Amino acid sequence: MSTRRSFIAGMLASGFFPLPTWAEAGSPVFLSAGLRPDGTYVLCGLGASGEITFELPLPARGHAAAAHPTLAQAVAFARRPGRFALVIDCVTGRELARLAAPAGRHFYGHGTFSADGDLLFTTENDYETARGIVGIWDARHRYKRLGEFSSGGIGPHDIRRVPGSDTLVVANGGIETHPETGRAKLNIPTMRPNLSYLSYSGTLQDSAEPPEEMHRNSIRHLSVRRDGLVAAACQWQGDLGDVPALLATHRPGEPLHFHASATDLERKMQGYVGSVAVSQDGEQIAITGPRGGLASVFDVAGRYTGFLDEPDICGTAALPDGFAFTTGKGFVLFDRPDAGRPVRQNLQWDNHLVAGAV
Amino acid sequence: MRHWIAALTFMIGCPSLAASPDLTEIVDGHVLSGYRLLSEESADLAEAAREDCQPSSEALRGAYHEAFDAWVSVSHLRFGPSEQDDRAFALAFWPDPRGSTPKALGTFLRDEDAVVARPEDFRTVSIAARGFYALEFLLYDAQFLDAENVEYRCQMIRAVTEDIASNAAAILEGWETGYAELMRSPGNQTYRSETEAAQQFFTALSTGLQFTSEARLGRPLGTYERPRPNRAEARRSERALRHVVLSLQGTRDLADKLSDGDAALLDAFDNAIARARNLDDPIFAGVSDPQTRFRVEVLQQNVDLIRRILSESLGPKLGVAAGFNSLDGD
Repeated sequence: MSTRRSFIAGMLASGFFPLPTWAEAGSPVFLSAGLRPDGTYVLCGLGASGEITFELPLPARGHAAAAHPTLAQAVAFARRPGRFALVIDCVTGRELARLAAPAGRHFYGHGTFSADGDLLFTTENDYETARGIVGIWDARHRYKRLGEFSSGGIGPHDIRRVPGSDTLVVANGGIETHPETGRAKLNIPTMRPNLSYLSYSGTLQDSAEPPEEMHRNSIRHLSVRRDGLVAAACQWQGDLGDVPALLATHRPGEPLHFHASATDLERKMQGYVGSVAVSQDGEQIAITGPRGGLASVFDVAGRYTGFLDEPDICGTAALPDGFAFTTGKGFVLFDRPDAGRPVRQNLQWDNHLVAGAV
Repeated sequence: MRHWIAALTFMIGCPSLAASPDLTEIVDGHVLSGYRLLSEESADLAEAAREDCQPSSEALRGAYHEAFDAWVSVSHLRFGPSEQDDRAFALAFWPDPRGSTPKALGTFLRDEDAVVARPEDFRTVSIAARGFYALEFLLYDAQFLDAENVEYRCQMIRAVTEDIASNAAAILEGWETGYAELMRSPGNQTYRSETEAAQQFFTALSTGLQFTSEARLGRPLGTYERPRPNRAEARRSERALRHVVLSLQGTRDLADKLSDGDAALLDAFDNAIARARNLDDPIFAGVSDPQTRFRVEVLQQNVDLIRRILSESLGPKLGVAAGFNSLDGD
């Protein structure tokens, strides 16, 4: 449902005609990019039972998406080191705008909207100087670029808005890459990941680093609870015989709290978490490990409560009563009281399952 | 209380380990032999620097090349003792996109920092100032060849070579005094099964080839519009192409043992090695010329073909997932 304010904003943006809202896009609950059997890439809307509500073509492999809070607009980001992002009208399938990374920048694959949907923020690499950047785009004016500011670290990946605030939280993974060397990691021995809190104008409000012995624990993905508790998922860049906790929770002003599984889960995941989600009731956190082929759920105190074996599982998002997961084998799975049958589509779901705005 | 039951009934069975490579053969015939050579050559290098620390010394430069060769041949084995105390990074800090190595060495030279006088002190300096790539600057870069304080430069060269020798010896010792046995006889805390040990070697193999493709070849290639010959690895001592050949030979040996002589895989290696040997461009200077650039690009494609065969064929045989997401790394 659109609020009055966004309704007016929408009218302004469209030249008096209201823009379509999510209801008209079949009310998808989730968005995910995928690969079709014919080798083409798509962005899909998914309903509450895992059914596909829309399927729109993408020019190359996607990564994550960002859903406009009210309008049926999704921003599909190219996979790192992509230089484009598409804004798609999820009712008509029309491309509304195309974001091109400015010279010397590439996208990391994640972005988030301001609460009113007027601004879009994207994580970017200023690769000649290896500075992490947050790009600002004007969603009301065809996603024109408004400016940028420092992300507070190297290699920013996921970015979220802290609910009920105008604060952004960025996972600075700490890893320097350069598009000319593909995905080669250039600074592992000296990497310093952090979690940074930033205002819309780029003021650094708080920052937290893993302790020295965990400086190779790259913070990559985030999920934020309504009260601002941040769940952060890591990818370990050190020895796989020595994998530390991969899940941390954080509140501004405090250190990062790492939560180990006590069951060797981190090793089974091969030190690599693909996605993280906090449940809608705020009591549980799910993380996925595509390399280990398993997902795991913790309570918010960090106590490990269970896991699921599933090859190539990676996407996860919260449901009102549990979690949904997607896999590279095409499955949509549920962890909730009425789990039902898993749904399998004839495509490979890409890294992230993004909760929609409705 | 979890609710996965319905999902579990649809679970696709995990592949069981079809192939079981001879781990003892890999540990003894690949890892230990490689690290023994590195340790010996590095000790010889330190000895050569003690005898003659002039950068122009043929004996010293010869020892540098031999020890560096031995390192590159094992440089894909990035786990266990090589990662303890950052030993491998301290031996080989490259790529160095911010130019940290010449900066750190230049600061030492300018300040005549006494930290180079004692090995136990030198071990605490930035890893950018240590190892083979730092030594290359000291032996081949004009900033150091033209240095006025010859005595201090000599101390630096001795400090770096002794540090290399002690790191190489420490890695070998780590393998010989325990780590080798963990991999020969899995069923321990580090490797709970033969599968896990084999997967560790597979990861080393594929990561090593990725590094050869993306860094050793990818850095000088840059883009067509903007080639970057000055980013070629160890170009001052003209070792860039040599590193590609050596690393392909080193990973081929591991691939041979890990795949039980898979013919298609070894053919792909042999093609790439033959192409590299015929390149006749030791520092990839040809990347700037469209006429010769394509030959380096084809070599990179040859290496990527090996990587594809590994992930599509050998990986699944060893129970390594080759999924859409598990391979993504994001």
